[in-house]
Amino acid sequence: MTSSPRLENFVAFSAQITAFNKVEIWGTGLADVYLDTIDGLVGAAVTDALLDAFAPIATLRSDAARTDRLRLEVFGSERLGPVARAIVKLWYIGVWYPLPSTWQEQFGPTARNDAFVPTPAAFVEGLLWPAIGSHPPGAKAPGYGSWRLPPNIPSF
Amino acid sequence: MASPDITSIEVLRSQLAKAIQLEHATIPPYLTALYSIRPGANTDATQILRVIVVEEMLHLTISANLLNAIGGKPDLTVKGFVPSYPATLPDGETDFTVGVGPLSPETLKAFLKIERPAMAPAGKSRHVVRKSDDHSTHLCTLPEDATLRYYSIGEFYAAIRDAIVYLDQQAKAKGETIFTGDPKRQVTSEYYYSGGGKLWPIVDPASAAKAIDLVIQQGEGKTQAIFGDSGEIAHYYRFLQLDKNRYYQQGDSPENPTGPALTTDWSAVWPIATNLKLAALPAGSELYDAAVAFNSAYRQFLALLTRAYNGEPQVLLDAVPRMFEFRNLIQQLICNPLPGGNGNAAPTYEI
Repeated sequence: MTSSPRLENFVAFSAQITAFNKVEIWGTGLADVYLDTIDGLVGAAVTDALLDAFAPIATLRSDAARTDRLRLEVFGSERLGPVARAIVKLWYIGVWYPLPSTWQEQFGPTARNDAFVPTPAAFVEGLLWPAIGSHPPGAKAPGYGSWRLPPNIPSF
Repeated sequence: MASPDITSIEVLRSQLAKAIQLEHATIPPYLTALYSIRPGANTDATQILRVIVVEEMLHLTISANLLNAIGGKPDLTVKGFVPSYPATLPDGETDFTVGVGPLSPETLKAFLKIERPAMAPAGKSRHVVRKSDDHSTHLCTLPEDATLRYYSIGEFYAAIRDAIVYLDQQAKAKGETIFTGDPKRQVTSEYYYSGGGKLWPIVDPASAAKAIDLVIQQGEGKTQAIFGDSGEIAHYYRFLQLDKNRYYQQGDSPENPTGPALTTDWSAVWPIATNLKLAALPAGSELYDAAVAFNSAYRQFLALLTRAYNGEPQVLLDAVPRMFEFRNLIQQLICNPLPGGNGNAAPTYEI
């Protein structure tokens, strides 16, 4: 993957809103695919606005301060909030869920208005699997007999 | 047949410890090349690499069984067991290096050399003298003299096979045997499944010879035949299919495979750095920590294997989920860009 400052910002933003770290976000191999997907759906201007809003927040040292301002300035924003929430779902479940109709009435229609999986790898790399200490059924096989071991749930 | 190189059981044990090191040393390069392939791409290369790396794990366990059979103690945790890549291997009169990097035509060339050990020409010494003027890990060295190396991996194993026969005959003349190991320390197929072949207890020269022949046949092929006794294609020819863009089938000549065509898209591979070291990563960064975490997981895995090879074969069943865990860790590292646009990260295997 060719890295760019914009992609790096998107990875930092994704890490902040999913509670996974940047190595894990890059580690899915999907950061560039998802950024392209989002650009294609809502338009690069909206994505840029989201990343621009996050940029000053990313520099804050305190976790609590970052969370507070993220709530206020991103998740609390009528324009950016629904997009940020859809990105959380995208990372965890690997599915893009359409934005609310109110958003589309106010800010314009998205390129697609159905729930869809951007790439087959999205299912395999969904963050929900490591979040519950499991693996995607049918992929990343954990080895014969591993089901007798307790799940290895990461601490957030 | 007399073996001038290996004249005592102690030396044979130390050479078998080197065989264990050698078999393991192929695994990090093969695994990394395998996981460097982008998801869904290059299914032929993926399958070929996967089969080979699994068989190398079988060879590792067979070497441990051989050492156990003659009363040795395999230890995969000793300092220097995992080579500092690139490691140096002999290939006839010249050496070649094998490193940890992405699947590419260059890595394929090195892999082909690993799997096709040339035998020394008739009448020529099976040893070659090398000046060890570098700091890389040299494999296939002679006992007690690291400046001397075997002509090839094939000669390295041939010397071990000869020594087993020779030393056991000497022991038998005194009413003894070199096969003094506790059979309970043998790892057999009930602990080892879907792993590229069967395992049997090594208890005498015949079972030992069968083990060495399997390692050689799966690698270079039986007297350089494409297919072995069991109809299985040798590693060398498995790899050569990637170079020739065509599968072999029974009856083919080495030059001309006539099976189905295959293609490798060399660009559908993550652009990982070759022989990456921790020192190249910013200390304290998340990426540095992830590379350290992988090395630590790998070190623990080698410690588990050492227990499995030292009287607790059932531990091997616990080691399997670990193996799959570090597959995930390797894939994660490989998807991470290095700072400064220098390609992507990779496991460093600094154990």
